[in-house]
Order: sequence, then C-alpha cells, then structure tokens
Amino acid sequence: MGERVVLNRMSLPSQLDRTIMAGGALAALVAGPYLLVLAALAIMGRISGAEFVWWLLAGLTVLGAVGAVTSRNVVHAALSLIVSAMAIAGIFLLLASEFIALVQILVYGGGVAILLLFGLMMTNASDDPIVIDGSQKPFGFGVALVLGILLVSAMSGAAWGGALDSVAGFREIGTRLYRDYGVPFEVASLVLLVALIGAVSVARRDREEDAE
Amino acid sequence: MIPLSNYLVLSAILFSLGFYGVLVRRSAILILISVELMLAAVSINFVAFASYLDPELFSGVIFAIFVITIAAAEVGLALGIVLRTYRERASANVDEASTLKW
Repeated sequence: MGERVVLNRMSLPSQLDRTIMAGGALAALVAGPYLLVLAALAIMGRISGAEFVWWLLAGLTVLGAVGAVTSRNVVHAALSLIVSAMAIAGIFLLLASEFIALVQILVYGGGVAILLLFGLMMTNASDDPIVIDGSQKPFGFGVALVLGILLVSAMSGAAWGGALDSVAGFREIGTRLYRDYGVPFEVASLVLLVALIGAVSVARRDREEDAE
Repeated sequence: MIPLSNYLVLSAILFSLGFYGVLVRRSAILILISVELMLAAVSINFVAFASYLDPELFSGVIFAIFVITIAAAEVGLALGIVLRTYRERASANVDEASTLKW
C-alpha cells in the first residue's frame, strides 16, 4: 500500500456554505409559490385530488432531480436523488402499479442510496468541491437544454389516447413474470450474480498490494 | 383525469436533467447519480405506457422490473470500479482516469 489517504472531513469553505444556503433559499422560493398555487387550485375545485397529488409528486421529483445534478455538496446530491426516487415511487402508485412502487422504494431507498453514500464517504469526494463540475458546463447545459426541449415538445405534441385502467396486482405480475418471462428472469438473476462477484473481485485489495 | 402526456413530459424532463448531470459532473459518483435519474425516467415511461395503453399484458411493468434490476447491478459494479480507481489515483475525478485515451 503506497500512501494511506487521510479521510479527515474538512470543514467546508464559507463560500460553499453560502452556496448551499442560496440553493436552499432558491428551492424554497420556487416550491413555496408552486405549493400555494396548487393549494388554491385544489380549494377552488379546479383540479381533482388525484391531479393535486400528481402535481405535488411531479414537482418533488423535478426538484429532487435538479438538486441531484446541481448541488455542490455531494452528500446533498445523493439525498436529493433519494427524494426524487421516493416521489417517483409515489407516481408509480398513481399509475396503479403498487408492485413497482414497492420495488422502487426497496431498491432505491434501500440499496442504491446506501451504496452511493458509502461510495461518497469512501472516496472522500466531498473534500474537493472545486472539481465537481467540469469546465464545459455551459456547453453541457446547452446540449441538455436542446435535448429537453426536443423531447418535451415531441412528448406533449403526440396524442396517445388511452385511459388509466390497469391494476396489475401482485398475482398477475408474478404469473406473467414466471410464465412468460422465465428466461429473461433467470438471465437477470445471472447478471446480478456476475455483478456481485465482479464488484467484489474488482474492489478487493490484492494480497501483493497489501504486502508492499 | 391525468393524461398520458403528463407522465411522458415529466420523464423527458427527468431524462434531460440526468443527461445534463452526466455531461457536467466530473466526480464519478455524481455521474452515477445522474445515470440513475435517467434510468428512473425510462421506467416511468415504461410503467405509464403499460398502464394507459397495455392494461391486459402490462409488459411495461415487467420491463421496469428489469430496468430496476439492471440499475442496481450497475451501481454495485460501478462503485467497485470507482473504489479501485480511487485507490490507484486518490481521486474519483473522471478527467484524471485518462490512461486508456490513446
């Protein structure tokens, strides 16, 4: 082992602290009026209960996603991802797919969140906040903005029709998964097994490396 | 009644936000977080289409299950690689992992 990396948590520079405070204030500034408008519309009876919940969850999802990709503090970014994932679980519930909602909560809230936080702690990425975003930020923003405008205009323009009437319960999903998708299911478990072994063997500390 | 296009627009917004994150972020784990956002956007699309257009077979729900499975496997494996790279270079910055470039 060449050099042992010191994992001291340095206190954040005051400038960064101010950035985080400004981000929180901005979020409150956006979320407050949004909530007020929603509540007013719901009280006036313009939108139904389901629509109120939909707009609430959609706003929470987008807010969490914005926090996850713009936050200067990496732990805050991971926590914002969890907020977004939980709101998406709520959206799955609105789509009458409670199984997917439960899987989303279990996998994202349980597995992925813990893994990401572990990774953040072990790589100590919070100590170099200056290199979080690359120098090509404006170009990335432009490209993503164009992609977003393109996708949104295409999606909102299309008339898909159809109405929400599916209640794919646990029994139906289980039957379909094991009867019609048996082979893909087995392949997916194989992929998980290979990923597990691969992660262990890649991240493992070699004997020779330890002996050095 | 919430129209299907609402879900599609939400997922498009989420996908572009994740795309922005992948392009802009330089820390490998933050890029992973953005990729997770993109995958979640895709599964919203799958489940919405299954609920609105395919209520008898709901294939989209099955696909969303597979998407979530692959996302979990990907995070585990990618974190292993990130930890390994970090041990070699004491940095999780993807710009510094450029040995394979030439």
